[in-house]
Amino acid sequence: MQPHLSRRAVLSAAGLTAAPALLAACGTDPAGPESDTPQTGGTLRAAFAGGGADETLDPHRVNLFADAARAKAVFDKLADLGTDMAAVPRLAESWEPGADLASWTVTLREATFHDGSPVSAADVLYSYRRIADPEGTFRARQDLAPIDLDASTAVDDRTVQFVLHHPLAEFPNTLAAFGAYIVPEGTDDFAAPIGSGPFTFAAFEPGRSFAADRYDAYWDGPALLDRLEIVVADEESARVNALLGGQVEYAHDLSATTARANEDNDAVALVASPGSNMLGFAMKTDRAPFDDPRVRQAMFLLCDREQLVESVLSGRGRIGNDLFGLGFEHYADAIPQRERDVAAAQALLAEAGAADLSIVLDTADVGSGFTEAAQIFAEQLREGGLGVEINERNADTYWSEVLTEGQIASYRSGAMPIASHISQRLLTDSPTNITQWHDAAFDDLYLQLQSTADETARQALYDQIQQRLHDEGGYLVWGFADWIVGTAGNVRGVEQAPANTLDWARFDKVWLA
Amino acid sequence: MLAYAARRAGLGAVQVLAVAVLAFALVELLPGDAAVALAGDQPDPEAIERIRTAMHLDEPALQRLADWIAGLLTGDLGASLTSGRPVADILANALEPTLVLAGLTLVLLLPLAIGLGVAAARHQGRWPDRLITTATVGLYSVPEFALAVLLVSAFAIGLAWLPPTAVGVPSLLAEPAVLVLPLLVLLARPICSIARLVRAGMIEALDSEYVAHVRRAGVPERRVVLAHALPNALSPATAQIARTADWLLGGVIVVESVFVIPGLGTALVDAVNARDLPVVQGIAVVFGVTTVLVNLAADLVAFRLAPRLEIAR
Amino acid sequence: MTRRRAELAAILVLLSIPLGIALVGPFIPAAAGDRTQPFDPAAPWPGTDHLGASVLDGLLDGGWGIVVTAAAATALAYLVGFPIGLAAASTRRRWVDEVLMRPFDLLLALPSLLLMLLLASIAPPTPWMLVLIVAFVNLPDIARIVRAAALEAAHRPAVEAMWLQGEHPWRIATVHTARSILPTAAADAGVRLVGAFYLVAAASFLGVGAGPEASDWAVMVDVNRGGIFLSPWGVVLPAALLVALSVGLNLLFDRLLNRREPA
Repeated sequence: MQPHLSRRAVLSAAGLTAAPALLAACGTDPAGPESDTPQTGGTLRAAFAGGGADETLDPHRVNLFADAARAKAVFDKLADLGTDMAAVPRLAESWEPGADLASWTVTLREATFHDGSPVSAADVLYSYRRIADPEGTFRARQDLAPIDLDASTAVDDRTVQFVLHHPLAEFPNTLAAFGAYIVPEGTDDFAAPIGSGPFTFAAFEPGRSFAADRYDAYWDGPALLDRLEIVVADEESARVNALLGGQVEYAHDLSATTARANEDNDAVALVASPGSNMLGFAMKTDRAPFDDPRVRQAMFLLCDREQLVESVLSGRGRIGNDLFGLGFEHYADAIPQRERDVAAAQALLAEAGAADLSIVLDTADVGSGFTEAAQIFAEQLREGGLGVEINERNADTYWSEVLTEGQIASYRSGAMPIASHISQRLLTDSPTNITQWHDAAFDDLYLQLQSTADETARQALYDQIQQRLHDEGGYLVWGFADWIVGTAGNVRGVEQAPANTLDWARFDKVWLA
Repeated sequence: MLAYAARRAGLGAVQVLAVAVLAFALVELLPGDAAVALAGDQPDPEAIERIRTAMHLDEPALQRLADWIAGLLTGDLGASLTSGRPVADILANALEPTLVLAGLTLVLLLPLAIGLGVAAARHQGRWPDRLITTATVGLYSVPEFALAVLLVSAFAIGLAWLPPTAVGVPSLLAEPAVLVLPLLVLLARPICSIARLVRAGMIEALDSEYVAHVRRAGVPERRVVLAHALPNALSPATAQIARTADWLLGGVIVVESVFVIPGLGTALVDAVNARDLPVVQGIAVVFGVTTVLVNLAADLVAFRLAPRLEIAR
Repeated sequence: MTRRRAELAAILVLLSIPLGIALVGPFIPAAAGDRTQPFDPAAPWPGTDHLGASVLDGLLDGGWGIVVTAAAATALAYLVGFPIGLAAASTRRRWVDEVLMRPFDLLLALPSLLLMLLLASIAPPTPWMLVLIVAFVNLPDIARIVRAAALEAAHRPAVEAMWLQGEHPWRIATVHTARSILPTAAADAGVRLVGAFYLVAAASFLGVGAGPEASDWAVMVDVNRGGIFLSPWGVVLPAALLVALSVGLNLLFDRLLNRREPA
């Protein structure tokens, strides 16, 4: 992706990512410029889009980025996801699978909640049982479904024995699930939450602001900032203005256009994380016209990915190869990049008896670039002789509608492990199988993958699954957008990281020069 | 006149209830419900069904409406479907910033708009009239967000005289500087339409036999304009001023989101997006009450300005 | 009188530029150009829009629809609202007034934005529906303003005299009252048309009207706002055309209704 990124953006991002390295080397490199020595103190104000008056601090109810950023400041999970989506131990010190991969032993590290009590196995089991409550409506419930929590036990204060319903080679991903935070046993009221995270709760006004102070006894070393404030600004332009006007030091989720407009502005630094947001179109493989693999392949071939990345993302992204998870662990890099080939597409359509096919493309204004991508893709399809009608749906209910309705729909996905993408969206009983991909052989392949302990053998299965999806899957993945964060000139230690990974919205290593 | 006001107040109560019911019906007609909206991009049908049950959305719509009205009669506005917070709390928090914005706008709007309208009418067809028309109509046809972008980049970012947003400001009145740019944006459009109506009414009034008669009686021109022509000219404008409350809401939605002011406009947009019916209905009640009161005030003012019109009926 | 003539020329210029582009634009073939980056300052003037296409194409194609839709909606709203307001003001029977005006009071108490949001999401997305919705949102205001203006005119001594002389009430209303409230109605209509441009755009965003692929000037102003600091022309040019059209029309109305010739 580097050719697309401006030199300045790369340099500023590189400078910022260099900071933790310097932190590690601190003391051995006295020649470093003064402003690169981490300093303690100060308040960082960060602007996020929020959820209005209905916001809550219940970490198991996280839904929006602002929720996740707040939860992350106060709470910890057992594991979190690295930038390549591999699970990184957090409150868990280590994990060890049983021989059949259907049970896992997790050892906790020595950590304390903000009230001084230690984080124990009982807290872990309480938190997971609260999330998995069959009557409950917590988001991570689905992720924790493979765990048999009735059979799982606390071996001792710092050891949990998880028993699973079926083998799960990628179980550590589960420990890093979105919203699977550890709360003190018995907690059900989060008006003044107590967690084990780097900041202790100070104040919260739903839809407006949140403040938290450094927790000196944090297990991962105390944060550098004295105080973190998270303010809510829904409009991207408002976040930029607040940053430019010195009202905040960190503005989350900026557009590529804003990034371009501020490239030469020394007052702000831009941190772009490549490949964070997958963009594409989801075709329903169970109904006409996309139940014919040749029609799906024709769509793949008619798509001009470079043009979409250039015109929708202002070039701030990478082209996709009809596979989820570019740059992530287990991604099938070896599959050659698909190129546009209008003649081949027309031949396939003719063969399928669909030469003068007419389709309805669903879209909605649910994310930046969504309707724009639909309009440009429609034009590209028309160049191939297809008739295309764009159907703009209601943004609030779009995802629920296109899950079962329509033929082809604009689609996006945030970062998650490739295994989660498959289990949530591509198995016969997956809850959000938008491409309606129902294939027993494919299901078996995935079960086999999760039952394979050997890394190499498992990678071979990952490759096999992805080859199948690349050949005739329902997801047309045209690109991956950068995730852009803006900071004031004196902010150091903000890492490049896809949204919802460990280093994203992580403020315990951030400092003010 | 008291009887008239009492009759209007009774009618107002019916109006407010009707508005709330209408808002309920319209949100019910929107695709999806609060459970679907909450599920967002994780539309697991099983999860949606569980959320729906937890929110009591599986009960018939009429039952829920009846419950809500029963609650309203006892002063209970219900609770948000999404968070369970009492609607009264949400409204109380959102009301203050919007009241401050709308109140200050109205206070500034009336003298400015009436002054401009009268000035234009007295110079009808000459350059002050043309200038006022061009400037106000020109301003009116610039969309609010464009004006906001312009003002913010000039005065907040470029010159750094004023704060660009109200981010992190606990109370608008505590830091009046944050109010300047939002007020300018809010004032821009209503000034134009009211000044235009005042101008047209003034021209008509100055031309009437009544004013000609007053003039013949030797009343000074200044008094002719202010005491005799203006009251007659204001009645169409009064009808429009009553509607300003509605415009303010529209403008407030833009202004609140550009300047990050968590008021009623933001709350309404959030609630409609979330299909959070009790909150939408609560805001509809607040809005209905305000509109009824403002309309009542406008009618009473119109009655004071030109009592013979109502008496004639 | 040369000053008056210069003024007329200025009004005609203000009107002819946007109207000319709106009328002729759709017949000018778009120059075939490749898509580039959105808001590309390096692209030939006036730059590119939010989809990386030329702003010029949007300007040429985007006038006709909005001018016709906004004008039709305003005209329709007046066609219905004016007689209702007039009748309510002219009638000597209180209940007629009540029956005509109370339903509007109900609508007035509902935020027009909420009303439009809801109408838009349940109405089929056709250009006709767009005209109807924008007209409907404006209707209560028009009826109220016309009634308020007519009330004053309908109770002047001259009218009372005609009434006593047995002149037919409808004749009084249509001939005398209607004529005397024309300036107020024209001032309101002029401003309302301007408001309608943006209501049409707002409704298009809500999914009513010509669909996401149709461009019009007001929609252009909105979709290109993100790039205003990179390439301002996508916002400035369509906004300038709308301002010219609005100011020109309002000045023209004023002039046509100017009763007292300036010295």
